[in-house]
Amino acid sequence: MILLLSILRSVLDFAPPLVLAALGGVISERSGVVNIGLEGMMRVGAFFACWAAFASQNAWTGAGAGIAAGTAFAAVHALVSIHGRADQVVSGIALNLIALGLVTFLLEATFGTTGTAPVETLPELPSLLGRSPYTYVALAAPFAVHAWLHFTVPGLRLRAVGEHPHAAATLGVSVARVRWAAVLAGGALAGLGGSALSLAILHRFDNKMPAGLGFMALAAVVFGKWTPLGAFGASVFFALANAGVDAVRSAMPPSGPLADLHLDGILLAAPYLLTLALLAGFVGRAVPPAADGIPYDPEAKH
Amino acid sequence: MTSGRRTIALSAAAMVSALAVGFVAIALTGKDAAGGYSRVLDGAFGSTSALGETSVKAAVLTCTGLSVGVAFVVGLFNIGAEGQFIAGALAAAVVGRALHLPTAIHVPASLLAAAAGGALPALAAAWLKVRRGVHEVISTIMLNWVVIYTVQDWLVVGPLRAPSTSAEVSSSGTGQIEVTAELPRLFDGSRLDIGLPIAVVLAVLTWLLLSRTVLGYEMRAVGANIEASRAAGIPVARRLYLAMALSGAFAGLGGAFLILGTEHHYPGVFRTGYGFDGIAVALVGNSHPLGVLAAAACFGAIRAGATRLQLVGIHPSFAELIQGLAVLFVATRAPFAAALDRVAGVFRSGRERLRRRGGSP
Repeated sequence: MILLLSILRSVLDFAPPLVLAALGGVISERSGVVNIGLEGMMRVGAFFACWAAFASQNAWTGAGAGIAAGTAFAAVHALVSIHGRADQVVSGIALNLIALGLVTFLLEATFGTTGTAPVETLPELPSLLGRSPYTYVALAAPFAVHAWLHFTVPGLRLRAVGEHPHAAATLGVSVARVRWAAVLAGGALAGLGGSALSLAILHRFDNKMPAGLGFMALAAVVFGKWTPLGAFGASVFFALANAGVDAVRSAMPPSGPLADLHLDGILLAAPYLLTLALLAGFVGRAVPPAADGIPYDPEAKH
Repeated sequence: MTSGRRTIALSAAAMVSALAVGFVAIALTGKDAAGGYSRVLDGAFGSTSALGETSVKAAVLTCTGLSVGVAFVVGLFNIGAEGQFIAGALAAAVVGRALHLPTAIHVPASLLAAAAGGALPALAAAWLKVRRGVHEVISTIMLNWVVIYTVQDWLVVGPLRAPSTSAEVSSSGTGQIEVTAELPRLFDGSRLDIGLPIAVVLAVLTWLLLSRTVLGYEMRAVGANIEASRAAGIPVARRLYLAMALSGAFAGLGGAFLILGTEHHYPGVFRTGYGFDGIAVALVGNSHPLGVLAAAACFGAIRAGATRLQLVGIHPSFAELIQGLAVLFVATRAPFAAALDRVAGVFRSGRERLRRRGGSP
């Protein structure tokens, strides 16, 4: 019982970054723009949230800076992939590489370190019933996005643009404008998710962040079949798997025959293997939005 | 300009733009950008040992660049080069230590083991793609973590760890490989080993395969249009498997070069990022084997030279920033070229109109 409670607590704390970034991915991809740069957007979100919260001594400013940084990074992705009609996967990879180098570079320039930002007193967000606001945002946002996508006119337009941009354009929808908005919103959510890592989970910035969480979010998008609620479920499942692995690892004796087997690596790899197995067998063929990844060319034949 | 020449020119322009933006970024942080860049040049080409460093890194990057590039040819995006690189490195370390053979057999045997080790996770991704419809971007990302954790947190600290009672120098990672498995070095005073010539031969062979054989033609056809290829009777699935096997084998060989040539055992911490850099190399090299070779030389020089940046207070991760920027500029290459054409077209039609009006102004 205590073990279950601690796993639940760990899911409530660790799922928000994943949930928010995955939602960002869903919004972007439902409009037809593949977002492989989630990892980089989370990274700049985490860094600038820490930096701004430290500089202003206000955690809310930090969260805002995380959103702004993610959005700014997404703007580059939008410019290159919507305006420039470039390959969206390549653009996303470029953003991840740039975030990797840029944040290390800035970390050294601002905090004089390349490891953990030496922040002793990062201001904290107020907690509600012992959980950070991120937990509640992550619990509510998937339903809000679901409702928005399915029951509002802008939501319908966004889905139309991702499925059949030419048809949407015929009805007077600006494909470029809808995609711009979706990519920026996706970046804002990924940046917010990144800020949760530094502001609410570790209470500092570590140069390893987000350590592959952005790629997990990407997997959650696919696993959740490009739906907000599916991505939410997948993210919670991943967080649950990680919490379970952590619980087992901490329950292992530090020495003795079991420790000599060094099963840590297998336990750490297990969630990824499980994801692969589920993607391969359980969920069946996931069908992305029809125009996902295809640059919109108004003059193209269709 | 021919499209080939224009592609080369645009790739070069992307590299130069990335270096220019990097220069401005350093200058903005108030550091000595000119001094930093001259140190990078010095660290990459300034001495025999510097040239050796550059060529060792270029050889590894050629392998990982070919890995990503050959997958691109059939239309697959192999983000798993990092995991395949690690799997190959471990296989080379194991075979290099376990067998006792003369150099002429031991080195090829270790390299073959690395190629097989790298091909394994890549083939798993190909199977998931062909048989189960799992997108290779997702499966290779997942397989990266599976390989990294099983190698780094289980095999290397557990079953394959060097016995701590032995008199060997290093206490973490696997035991030292036999001397017969080490890549022979070409000169004294330089780390340049036979990895670079092997990498060059691999690039040329890949180019010949893709441009001069039926097999290569079919692979390119699958990448250009998978449905048309299937209709034309090309065994699409087999070509996908072949491309991914080659892709993984190349990445694995890159890992082997580093283990057999430089590290001489699989170290406890071995996260080099060469696999991810292969993506940048392949994109800047336009997935052409000879383009990959040229891009690998550039990035190898930057990687080797960037270690000197610390002397002027700039972190060597700067090399990653340059790579990311170069990829971003390459991503805009096609639209940039189209824009150039449009501008050229406007000029042309303007001239036409003038001519029709009968004379120049």
